[in-house]
Amino acid sequence: MSKRIFITGFGIITSIGKNAFESLDSLLKERSGFGSLDILQTAHHHTIPACEIKLEDNDLHALAGVQPHMGFTRAASLGIIAAKEAIASANLSKKEIQNSALISATSAGGIRELEKYYYQLKDNTQKGAFEEFVDTGNPGEHTERMAEYFGVKKQIGTISTACSSSANAIMLGAQLIKNNRVDRAICGGAEALSKFTINGFNALMILDPQHCRPFDASRKGLNLGEGAAYIVLESEEAMLESKREPLAELLGYANANDAFHVTASSPEGMGAYEAMRGALASGKVDPDQVGYINAHGTATENNDLSEGLAMQKLFGKNMPMFSSTKPYTGHTLAAAGSVEAAFCLMSMKESFIFPNLNFKIAMDELNIRPEVTLQAKKNLKYVLSNSFGFGGNTSSLLFGSV
Amino acid sequence: MQTKEELVTELKALIIKQLNLEEVAPESFDENTPLFGEGLGLDSIDALELVVLLDKNYGIKIQDPKAARKVFENVRTMVEYIQENKK
Amino acid sequence: MMEKRKRYYVNGAGIISPQLTFDDNSFLESVQEYNTNALTCITPDFKAYINPIQLRRLNRMLRIGLSAATICIQNSRLQKIDGVIVGTGYGFLIDTAKFLEEVLSQNEKHVAPTHFMQSTYNSLAGLVALSIKCMGYNNTHVSKGFAFESALQDAMMQVNEDDALNFIVGAFDESDPVQYVINSRKHHFKKESISSLALFESETVGTIQGEGAAFFSLSAKPTESSLCRLIDLRMIFKPESETELKDSLDQLLLENGISISDVDIIISGASGDVMNDKLITSFCNSLNSIAQLRFKHLCGEYCTASSFAFWLASSILKKQTIPESVKKNDFETPSVIQRVLIVNQYMGRNYTMILLESLVA
Repeated sequence: MSKRIFITGFGIITSIGKNAFESLDSLLKERSGFGSLDILQTAHHHTIPACEIKLEDNDLHALAGVQPHMGFTRAASLGIIAAKEAIASANLSKKEIQNSALISATSAGGIRELEKYYYQLKDNTQKGAFEEFVDTGNPGEHTERMAEYFGVKKQIGTISTACSSSANAIMLGAQLIKNNRVDRAICGGAEALSKFTINGFNALMILDPQHCRPFDASRKGLNLGEGAAYIVLESEEAMLESKREPLAELLGYANANDAFHVTASSPEGMGAYEAMRGALASGKVDPDQVGYINAHGTATENNDLSEGLAMQKLFGKNMPMFSSTKPYTGHTLAAAGSVEAAFCLMSMKESFIFPNLNFKIAMDELNIRPEVTLQAKKNLKYVLSNSFGFGGNTSSLLFGSV
Repeated sequence: MQTKEELVTELKALIIKQLNLEEVAPESFDENTPLFGEGLGLDSIDALELVVLLDKNYGIKIQDPKAARKVFENVRTMVEYIQENKK
Repeated sequence: MMEKRKRYYVNGAGIISPQLTFDDNSFLESVQEYNTNALTCITPDFKAYINPIQLRRLNRMLRIGLSAATICIQNSRLQKIDGVIVGTGYGFLIDTAKFLEEVLSQNEKHVAPTHFMQSTYNSLAGLVALSIKCMGYNNTHVSKGFAFESALQDAMMQVNEDDALNFIVGAFDESDPVQYVINSRKHHFKKESISSLALFESETVGTIQGEGAAFFSLSAKPTESSLCRLIDLRMIFKPESETELKDSLDQLLLENGISISDVDIIISGASGDVMNDKLITSFCNSLNSIAQLRFKHLCGEYCTASSFAFWLASSILKKQTIPESVKKNDFETPSVIQRVLIVNQYMGRNYTMILLESLVA
């Protein structure tokens, strides 16, 4: 019988809110963060929309409480803001923080700063304030900064598996607790928009120039987003000892690989199926018991079809309610897993199913439809969250109410 | 005004360069060799590279990746498309 | 009950490095010297491991990584592989730079997708899974100087959960000229050019840049191709003193029922940087001042260099010989080498310890 893992706190910042309270308000009011790219300097600012956090880098650094000119990247500050809220909501002591694991995730890391100062950094005749960003492009760097900021000492790590990154970070945290490496883990991800990422996705032709429409027959692709979210995991023993109240239980999880193609999911969504099936199996929950699925639902042709088919195959006649919350926040890439885990926690706590915005026309290939209106739903007992990415990385998390 | 033959030769060289096909000799495939599946064996990422190739070298923008597949059937269909649409 | 496994079997290895390590024909008998402060891999003919159609699609490090993984899988002679876990510090630097420069120099116009795709950190783990059609657990760790150990620990925990599983665990990093210039601003690399083989005689700040890809198979059960056993590991972030390292080691030994006198050889991750080497050298000397080995003069310094040490240690334990080129001091090779402890550090911030033992220990 392996240890039970409980969630005792969480924090979040995205284009729909700087914290959990603001985020919930936006979710309930169906207010998305979709708009034009104003803060990031890019040639595409008229043509590529995104879900951008309308705060300049320095404002985010101030919100994070970090000193300017110390080389904190936008991603690192987003991470600090969200982790700070998570730690406060769990009310962790200094000692508890020191002995926790901090497992973060990112796909771009500090690329935003690297691209800004690239030519200067490369030219060894140039010196200046830009040198504060020398090593900040590295994906593991933001985690080290966060560890130093919060005083985490016991274990740190960073994961990068594209869109499933922070879901895998949460899984790793749970495993570290089950293996007695730590009693607590602060897990999640941070992602900031950059020219690198925007142009990369644009070159792959999977961006929608309009607001994205997950699971809609006319969907054209995804909107990029940015943000960070962290959840605090504790072993049952540690939680009881500290007399904390859990928000939910992390009942199960699974990580599978599609092994089909470097960027495309297999048409039937084999990896997605395995991840969902595995998460349910590990939590000993049957498909017909699941109350809601927060789908990956990026609104790309490929993902929604393969995810939709995989869900149909797994749940059959017992298809739970499902929605993609990506029209709200955009696709926050590595942070998506933890952002959407936070939304699942809110769903369970507040007893609401957040709608799949912009859905109008059903896909011919599917006989399932997402929820399109905000709905009160009491007694949501089991909730599944999907995160599927490039490289075939598919992960699912199963939460249980307490 | 480029002849069709000149365009075929030029395009083959561009394709080899853009798609990192250094080991493929231009003589080993002709204008009718299928680019995808059997033939040159290109994949969906290659298709996106060809979209960039058309834009960069001929000023032709393809918005819909699915429509692109018809254009990219072989070098001949690409040449015809370029001749119809070149700016 | 989720019990910690006592031991994990390393059933095969595959490594491509700045030394001739991709085949088993020699064991560092003659070593390659570098004089440019940047070491680059001696590579095999990739066509032996990767089909030509796939090959043209892959950047240099993906070729190196996939080849190393393939060599490991061949050597392990496993029927089934259940998961792939990879660690990297900086990922695919060359493709990251190529894509970035394309975006910047072309003002975000006519940008092609290939370098973007090939710069994503998890593309090697995805590629290996694809090549062996492994739909199991797949992860990529980017924890800087902890990346390889994070990947190993992840595999250990997966095997703890199900002891029938076989995992492939690997690590890679690239030697990149742009990185050299940029990180020289932080004194990562030496200002003066030195011979790599004279690395430890240098008394200046900075080290030399290295690269490599190494893969190992990890299982709960031995096979006929087993090299050694992995006991356990530790990661220490920014230790403040030698005492902190000592406490961590004591805990590692205690939890695994081993005493320091049971360890025959120490492999030190000293990097030739006079500042960063102080703590690790003092610590290693306190454990065993004589039977010490060093390796970064052979592979250079990179976030996942401890994977080279892991290969070195597992080869030593299997072959029961120690190449002269890695000995710090002149000492007689023990008649039986039972246990090797790797103590590594990266830029004075990421300290790790990995404990391995021979199959007959």
